[in-house]
Amino acid sequence: MKKNKSFFGLPEDVKFCKKCVESNQRFLSSTQHKMNSDEKKETIFFDKNGICGACNYYENKKKIDWVSKEKNLRYILEKHRSKNGKYDVLVPGSGGKDSIFTSFLLKEKYNMNPLTCTWSPGMYTDIGWSNFKSWINSGFDNILFTPNKRVHGLLTKIAFENLLHPFQPFVLGQNSFPIKVAIQNNIKLIIYGDGVEERATDKKDNKLNKANSNIYNFHFREKNDPIFIGGLPIEELISKYKINMSDLSPFLPLEEKYLLENDLEVLPITKFINYNPQNNFYFAKQKSNFQVNPDGRSEGTYTKYSSLDDRFDGFHYYTWFIKTGRGRATEDAGIEVRNNIITRDEAVSLVKKYDGEFPKKYFKDFLDHTQLTKKKFHDTIDKFRSPHLWENNKGVWNLKKTVWHK
Amino acid sequence: MKNTRIIARLDVKNSNLIKSINLEGLKVVGNPNDFAKKYYDQGVDELLFMDCVATLYGRNNLSEIISQSTKDIFVPIAVGGGIRTVQDAQNLLKSGADKVAINTAAVQNPNFISELANVIGSQSVVLSIEAKKRNNFWEVYTSNGRDPTGKNVIDWVKESEKLGAGEVLLTSVDQEGTRKGFDIDLIKSVTNSIRLPVICSGGYGETTHAKKLIENCEVDAIAIADAFHYSRATVREIKKTLNLSL
Repeated sequence: MKKNKSFFGLPEDVKFCKKCVESNQRFLSSTQHKMNSDEKKETIFFDKNGICGACNYYENKKKIDWVSKEKNLRYILEKHRSKNGKYDVLVPGSGGKDSIFTSFLLKEKYNMNPLTCTWSPGMYTDIGWSNFKSWINSGFDNILFTPNKRVHGLLTKIAFENLLHPFQPFVLGQNSFPIKVAIQNNIKLIIYGDGVEERATDKKDNKLNKANSNIYNFHFREKNDPIFIGGLPIEELISKYKINMSDLSPFLPLEEKYLLENDLEVLPITKFINYNPQNNFYFAKQKSNFQVNPDGRSEGTYTKYSSLDDRFDGFHYYTWFIKTGRGRATEDAGIEVRNNIITRDEAVSLVKKYDGEFPKKYFKDFLDHTQLTKKKFHDTIDKFRSPHLWENNKGVWNLKKTVWHK
Repeated sequence: MKNTRIIARLDVKNSNLIKSINLEGLKVVGNPNDFAKKYYDQGVDELLFMDCVATLYGRNNLSEIISQSTKDIFVPIAVGGGIRTVQDAQNLLKSGADKVAINTAAVQNPNFISELANVIGSQSVVLSIEAKKRNNFWEVYTSNGRDPTGKNVIDWVKESEKLGAGEVLLTSVDQEGTRKGFDIDLIKSVTNSIRLPVICSGGYGETTHAKKLIENCEVDAIAIADAFHYSRATVREIKKTLNLSL
């Protein structure tokens, strides 16, 4: 028992959702600036019938009265609507299908004046950059923030080595940057194109801030929260590496009091409009010059239309796969099963075929960005293979349990 | 000018007729047999059934739909998707198909084209190509536009002509489902490279697109999906506009 002990406090008994293909090892979205190497991860909820939290959420979604939800949305928009042409809602996004859908909806259907903002990917793909420009050119003002490569690369390296979480610097910025933009521009409403509930939830939905139930608590920090990046307290980062507070500030969350003082509302559009990734794709094709991945499917999955903009995206999903045994194909197939786009059998064969595929296309870019050697990269990867998930057979790593094993 | 055939293309997944954009975002349209019958009644020259995700899921199961359709449809039927062996092809012909379209199996083993042609005859072997524009060439894709193969479309059609393919189904992944017109450059390059008949697929939005196509290229057939499925056009209208025999 002892020798099989799981990393990150993951459930030792691996299970897969009977409706989709999600695994009970899937992490929930969590507060990035609290992560350190002994952290126990919270994982997706599974009910007594073996159905995952996201499928449960979809079951409940069927009962939602979307007409009255839309009324709620109209009420909220009315409250924030500007009378003098100033921006009245902020839409954070990348120019992918979900942000295109949300920004057009707010602008054209509800006659709002959206400002959009974008926290730059670690390194743009050509298609990501071109979709981003198409989005702006289809009629949306945008504030793009690009952290400098020196600090971003360093933080990515540290987060990779300590947490096997190379995407952490991106997520930190993605969570906190829109709030800063909203406050600077005196916008009181932020609407996202995607909600975490579509992918994973726990039972109580306790990711929401108590004081303002409209804000995820990973978007800000409470007053006395110590802050970690890459698993290290920021004081240690500053003393150990040649960086200072201003280098780190783009990545740091604001304190909760600023949100409350500014009376901000932060909402996912999926709370009001019945989200379907495929509908958003069709919408984006029609409204913006949105293009699917020119290379065909993205590495590690079968889809061509989601998460296209960052060269390092593949490393996010790959490291996630190493830590939890479930990767990007599981994530994509799960959401498509829930939306009745594919069947569970199809999802199983897609996971078998593509999950965990190594993202070789941008491997060199990733190594350049982080200054990691190939050896260091692979050694770190292997260090994070939890013994309850992985076994090594003559030098080959295999998952002990998969969704396609009987 | 030759008489260009008008083909209704029916992409099928799990016994449903589906439609996509750039071969992504597959939406259910309805029962493929109902649509096939409708196009037959409208005077379509041929039908093309494609299980375009067969390889993706490692299966092939169009036989039943074909058997159903051939009961009351009497135009040539081509079928593609997941055909990996001569036996697979023979099963489909037995169900009533006249031609089979192959992509992945041929890419993985080009000799499969000859093997198949030797048994069922070149006239029944359609080489299906999912072509995607790269910087300075068109690349062959498989698995419904998901997996690049590194093959150059032009070299590949020439090679398959030699190996015994009887016809080429050329689908432009970039134009597919967009309603923005055919990839004329691609089609021209292919028709200029081989003598085989070429079926052009992907991009039909309005009759001017088809006009432009037949004025510019020696195409034998045009495959149309979206415009038929969503009743934006009928076979008769298209044939009339293009002065084709009804």
